[in-house]
Amino acid sequence: MESCKLEEPIMLLDPETEFLASKEETGNEWELFKENVRPLKRGRNVRLLNHALKSHSHSQLKNSLLHHRRRLIEAIDEYAGDDPLQPWIECIKWVQEAFPPGGDCSGLVVIYEQCVRTFWHEDRYRDDFRYLKVWLEYAENCLDAEVIYNFLEANKIGVTHAAFYISYALHMEQKNKNRTANEIFNRGLSMKAQPVEKLTAAYKKFLTRSMRQLKATDEDGAENQLPARSFGTVLAKQTRNQAPESSDIFRKKLKPDRAPGSALSIFKDNSSSSLTHHQSEMSKLDLKPWHSLGARAERNKENSAIPSKWTSNKIPHRPGQRIGRPPPGPSIEIFVDEESSEQHKPDNDGEKSSVLQLRPGDDRDIKKETELLKENPLRNFPPSSLPR
Amino acid sequence: MASKTATKDIITLRGSAAIVSEFFGKICYSILYNRGVYPEESFARVKKYGLPMLLTQDEGVKSFISNLTSQLSEWLENGKLQRIVLVIMSKATGEVLERWNFSIETDSEVVEKGISREKSDKEIMREIQAIMRQIASSITYLPCLDEPCVFDVLAYTDKDCAVPFTWIESDPKLIANPQMVKLHSFDTKIHKVDTLVSYKNDEWDEP
Repeated sequence: MESCKLEEPIMLLDPETEFLASKEETGNEWELFKENVRPLKRGRNVRLLNHALKSHSHSQLKNSLLHHRRRLIEAIDEYAGDDPLQPWIECIKWVQEAFPPGGDCSGLVVIYEQCVRTFWHEDRYRDDFRYLKVWLEYAENCLDAEVIYNFLEANKIGVTHAAFYISYALHMEQKNKNRTANEIFNRGLSMKAQPVEKLTAAYKKFLTRSMRQLKATDEDGAENQLPARSFGTVLAKQTRNQAPESSDIFRKKLKPDRAPGSALSIFKDNSSSSLTHHQSEMSKLDLKPWHSLGARAERNKENSAIPSKWTSNKIPHRPGQRIGRPPPGPSIEIFVDEESSEQHKPDNDGEKSSVLQLRPGDDRDIKKETELLKENPLRNFPPSSLPR
Repeated sequence: MASKTATKDIITLRGSAAIVSEFFGKICYSILYNRGVYPEESFARVKKYGLPMLLTQDEGVKSFISNLTSQLSEWLENGKLQRIVLVIMSKATGEVLERWNFSIETDSEVVEKGISREKSDKEIMREIQAIMRQIASSITYLPCLDEPCVFDVLAYTDKDCAVPFTWIESDPKLIANPQMVKLHSFDTKIHKVDTLVSYKNDEWDEP
């Protein structure tokens, strides 16, 4: 532990004074590599962040990260206590922090999906806020989270929490379905979702925005001239899968939030420029909301044939951009090098419900699975569990 | 008497106190803007310290901060200011969410003897800029403040300092089990300011 300079040895210092007085430095990797860091709503542990960023150039650190991750996954398998969700949460939290860029290769989406699928039928976690949060984070990573919200509501998961309705309503708002969003807020209020103050505050803000939107004409928005400071609002809006506000619809909104579109390009991994990938890229950028949730069979097709009307909104491919992009983080390389050569577990393929699938034995599998999940988050769920 | 070279400027106690208190005023604005304590629309752009800065147009905040900086200046000139903390709290619950901690070391020789020191103004400016940039970049790790917040300023002074009548004595408003990050410091050779931000540890199960 660091040594502290104390004037009076017996005096108990508050942690900040102690830290300030200590020789311990905070590394500045977080500042140097801030572009590689996906902000987390809950904040990050800076020590872990710096460590993770340093591993960029430090093979020993890389190894220790991989090792830690393996141990956390093993802990999930080996857990024998009363709260099997807990080791999942630990694992998720750690992976979020240890792989700052996030991205398809961190395996996060796969972990989210496996976690939620493991417990979706369990009554005991139905109202557990931690469990709901995993679902919500999963939703944030998917192209169209609406199916998830529908699923949750139909299966009565998380419906006692304000956060559920807020996330759901905001998502619909971003799809420009304000009436639906309004209904969702009202459902939450009538359910007396907790904490009520949070729900009412969010609802009020939504109403204000909706009013402004109705009144807005060609407001240029003086706020557009101010530098983007939108961290708070941007995160609350689950930027990753948002359509860019290059459309007029979005420009009318006076929210001072910034470029989800640019967030897209920053965080997108250098996945192979496969056709499916391009299609998913296109549908991501497409502005038309999905009209038919009912076409579940259609959506469940592996090679999701995209309905023809979408092609009328084709956004030009930017293959140059795809190919020319350097890998955002070395985490991709690490997995392939380290894990596949070391332990290749025989049950690494096939078993859907096994946690062992998490072992990044094959980096390509993780990326592929992540992409598939993003397009169709409930693809591994039994059809009988899906609403309608 | 020190001679002014091309790269160094003379810093007096008063000058240093002015630099530090002004710095603190601008830092307040920067934090309030970056952390979203006040809406973006209430800020206007001004150029200072070589970086575009944003100052609030809210009169209440403006006068609060300007009174603050003059008081700080006075304390700094007397060498009585030890630390200044900007606290951000939840409006609804009063819970302390973030603390921006600036601890000050004063060269007592200067205070006692009234001598001056030398340092390039430009370099001090650079150091201050580095801190301002770090504050803007801190969104990398700071938790999102997605509820309405209020702020307050705490000053830690020497015990023999009388409490000015616009200030009250207070508890330190600490965060329990904080995460802490040290940022850059700056030094006028008379006052050295170290910066630290502390914030709540994340709670995955807090709705």
